[in-house]
Amino acid sequence: MMDYVDLVFLMMGITAVISVSFTFLAVKTKDLMHAVIFSSVQSIAYALVYFLLMAPDIVLVYVAVSVGIYPLILILVVKRVGRFEVTA
Amino acid sequence: MLRDIIFVTLLIIIALALSYLTYLGGLGDLPPQDIRLIARSYLNLTYNQGVNWLWAASPEAVTAIVWDYRGLDTLFETVVFYGAILAALTVFRGVSKLPDRIVSVGLSVVVKRTMAIVTLAILTVAASTALHGHLTPGGGFQGGAIASVAPLLLIVVFGKQLFVEKKVSYNKLLTLRNASLGLLSLSTVALLIYGLATNEIGYIFQNQAKALSTLSYPSHMLDVPLGGTLFFLNVFEFLAVTSGFTLVFTLLLSSEEVILKEFEGEEYGY
Repeated sequence: MMDYVDLVFLMMGITAVISVSFTFLAVKTKDLMHAVIFSSVQSIAYALVYFLLMAPDIVLVYVAVSVGIYPLILILVVKRVGRFEVTA
Repeated sequence: MLRDIIFVTLLIIIALALSYLTYLGGLGDLPPQDIRLIARSYLNLTYNQGVNWLWAASPEAVTAIVWDYRGLDTLFETVVFYGAILAALTVFRGVSKLPDRIVSVGLSVVVKRTMAIVTLAILTVAASTALHGHLTPGGGFQGGAIASVAPLLLIVVFGKQLFVEKKVSYNKLLTLRNASLGLLSLSTVALLIYGLATNEIGYIFQNQAKALSTLSYPSHMLDVPLGGTLFFLNVFEFLAVTSGFTLVFTLLLSSEEVILKEFEGEEYGY
C-alpha cells in the first residue's frame, strides 16, 4: 500500500530519471537549438524536484530563470554563432 | 549506438539508486522529524505576538530569516548580484550611448497580440510574488526574476526599437535601479538614523521593537501582517532586480557591430 510520502519519492525518482536523460540528450546533440530545448526540459524536471523537496521559494526563482531567461539568452547566442555544431 | 544505450542505462540506474537510497533514509527522514534548535526558534518566533521583542511580524518564516534574522547574509548576496550587473554595465558603457542600428519589424501580429496579454500576466504574477513576499513563498528577488522575463520577451517579439518608441531609455532604467538600490539601503538603516536624530536606541537592520529599543516599523497594515521592513525590502529589491536585469538585456541585445566596437583593438592590448 502506497502512502503519500512513497508517492512523493516515486515522483522524485521519475523526475530525476527524466532530467538525467534530457541532460544526456543536451550534451549529445549537434543541433544547438535542440540542446537549448532539452536543457530547459531538464530544468523543468529540476523545478519539480525542488517543489517535491518542499522548497517553493527556490522553485519560483528557478522557473523564471531556467525556463524564461536562460533559454532566451542561449537562443540569442545560438543565433549569432550558428545553429549546428561543426565537428573537426 | 550501443555505447550510448549502455551509457544512458548506467545514468538511469545511478539516478534510481540514489532516489532509492534517499527513500530508504540515506539523508535522514524526509520530511525531517527532528528540527534543529535554531530552526525551532525561528519557527517559534517569526509570528509569535507573545514575544514581540523577538518576532519579525511575518507569517512567512523564509522571508523573515532572509531579510530580518540573517539580513547581513542577504545584504552581501545582494552586493554580489549588483556587482555583477555593475561590471556588465561598465564593460558596455560605450554601447549604452549609441543608437542601435537594427530596425526590426518584430514577429507576426498573432504573436504580438498574444505577447501583450502574456506580458500583463507575467507582470501580475511577478508583482503578486514580490508584494506578498512576507505572506506566501516568494519575495523581491523571485518577483524581479519573473518580471524581467517580460522585457526580454518584449524586445524579441516587438523589436529593439519598442523601448525607444515608448521612451524607456537607458538612463531612466539606470535611475530607477539606482533609486531603488538607494531606498533599499536606506530602509535597512532608517531606524538607526531616526534613533540617532531623536536620541533613542536603534539598530542596523532593525525591524520590530527590541528589548532596548522602542523604535519599530509598522507590523500590520489594515489588519494584514506587513512584516515591517520585510515588505519595503521586498518591493525595492523587486524594482532593483527588474531594472538591473532589463538594463543588461538591452545591452546584450544590441546589434553586433555596436557591441564589437567595444572589443576593437584587443590584439594590441586594451
